[in-house]
Amino acid sequence: MTKVTVTLANRQDQTFEVDPRKTLLASLSEQGVDLPYGCKYGGCITCAARLMSGSVNQSAQVALNNRQISDGYIILCVARPLSDCCLEIGVDSHGKLYRNPFLDPLADHELKADIAAPTKENT
Amino acid sequence: MAKACCGPGYASPAEAMQAPREKLLYTIAIYTGTGIQKPDYLCTIDADPESPTYSQVISRLEMPGIGDELHHMGWNACSSCHDDENMERKYLIVPGVRSTNLHIIDCATDPRNPTLFKVIEGSEIKARTNLSAPHTVHCLGSEIIISMLGDAQGNAPGGYLHLDKEFNIIGRWENSMGEIKFGYDFWYQPRHNVMVSSEWAAPNTFMPGFDLEEVGHLKYGRELHFWDFEKKEPRQTMYLGEDGLIPLEVRFHHNPDSSHGFVGAALSANIIHWWKDTAGEWQWEKIVDVDNEPHPDWPIPIPGVISVILLSMDDRFLYLCNWLHGDIRQYDISDPHKPVLTGQVWMGGLLGKAPEVNGVKVTGGPQMIQLSLDGKRLFVTTSLFSTWDNQFYPEIRTNGGCMLMVNCDTENGGMEIDPDFVVDFGKEPNGPSRCHETRYPGGDCTSDIWI
Repeated sequence: MTKVTVTLANRQDQTFEVDPRKTLLASLSEQGVDLPYGCKYGGCITCAARLMSGSVNQSAQVALNNRQISDGYIILCVARPLSDCCLEIGVDSHGKLYRNPFLDPLADHELKADIAAPTKENT
Repeated sequence: MAKACCGPGYASPAEAMQAPREKLLYTIAIYTGTGIQKPDYLCTIDADPESPTYSQVISRLEMPGIGDELHHMGWNACSSCHDDENMERKYLIVPGVRSTNLHIIDCATDPRNPTLFKVIEGSEIKARTNLSAPHTVHCLGSEIIISMLGDAQGNAPGGYLHLDKEFNIIGRWENSMGEIKFGYDFWYQPRHNVMVSSEWAAPNTFMPGFDLEEVGHLKYGRELHFWDFEKKEPRQTMYLGEDGLIPLEVRFHHNPDSSHGFVGAALSANIIHWWKDTAGEWQWEKIVDVDNEPHPDWPIPIPGVISVILLSMDDRFLYLCNWLHGDIRQYDISDPHKPVLTGQVWMGGLLGKAPEVNGVKVTGGPQMIQLSLDGKRLFVTTSLFSTWDNQFYPEIRTNGGCMLMVNCDTENGGMEIDPDFVVDFGKEPNGPSRCHETRYPGGDCTSDIWI
């Protein structure tokens, strides 16, 4: 199968050719990129990265709420690229990932997918 | 009866209180979620005031891989097998919440330099038991049970992993989880044939961080479960409701004849007390209610978030930490129905009461605590859980955590932060790390259970 190109915007735009059948964590780690990770099944956000362009399939992730998804976060341990992608990786990409839950509450449509209210566009 | 013995621990809580002072501390330190690509590690800290390296980390044992998120840990043996001369308190079982790996660490061969004895891989545990996210470790005579907060996909309620004394996986400990929705901490009191377990949330809910709205969607716990310990199945559930949102640390009295126990409800910032009444029925009541505190930048008052509680070995004092407020409280619970506040100290927290202690900027608030067997020294660390730290105390990424010691007056009540003890994890060799649970080689106030 054709490989796709992953560019790491916050690593001097380094590029990597990866197999789209593999997770981005596996592909990038194999090629020497030092990435954080935790659970390796999509349930914790230790490996979160930010998708700047391109698209991925991360249907197995259960960690992100809809706010984080709309901010571009993806879970590298389960995400597989569907096209060429540009990413910001590591904790230095986590600026919008964490928020004080009392100071900055989520709207109903921003919760995790299993409990989020449908957005107006969807209703 | 003549003092029989032989095995680990002590014949009774009273005997434990006479044990020699702890000279070493074992404390978890983590890099998971910090941006530093190094393994989490077990620190050995010198707690001997006569030693030239007092109040310093004297050795560090790195785990084999990154991303475990070491959290809680427990001994392979405690006073529950005091009569068994073949047992020894030698190994710490140190789980990774995120990885599900269990690290078995030999702390006895060279107590100042623990070594890794064995790793039980998370993948093996998931494959054989369909469990993940290990939390509380208790030994059980010569065997070990560990609360596992999720199934292999991180869904609640998980169950209990059962290991033999050689650290082989036996399988699931429980015969049934009944209607239990979530797992977290547990403690058992065999003379009453009871185990009590509490509720955090599914790993997939709490591991990514805390979304307050998920409490309302019943993604976090608010129940307490009383088990038939011999049958290994839940027998009765107490619905704590709004008084018991996110019940975490469970502590029975150390006195093995007592039926009294306590749990800290983190989000409600309450202490719940339970006991068996004269008719043999389990009862519960709220005995401490920490008021939310106003903050100029917050739209609502800040809850205390009681992240831990602990009982002194003589069952006289209950200690609690308000991780968001920044205080540790000491209550005299001689009458467990009527606690009396006898001491309070401040370190860190969001209320700004003690931003700096002993020359170190305290980032985070008082979180895990461990008390000496004689009840006089309380060791305190400041990190809760990497993702939750990042939400409430984002500066911890650059400042790291710290450990302080609080001197406790066991005669009259009262607490004071010791001015000569501080371990600044912001100055660790590989960069700022975060410190969590502590245990002592000779046993401590959250390890030992008498059967």
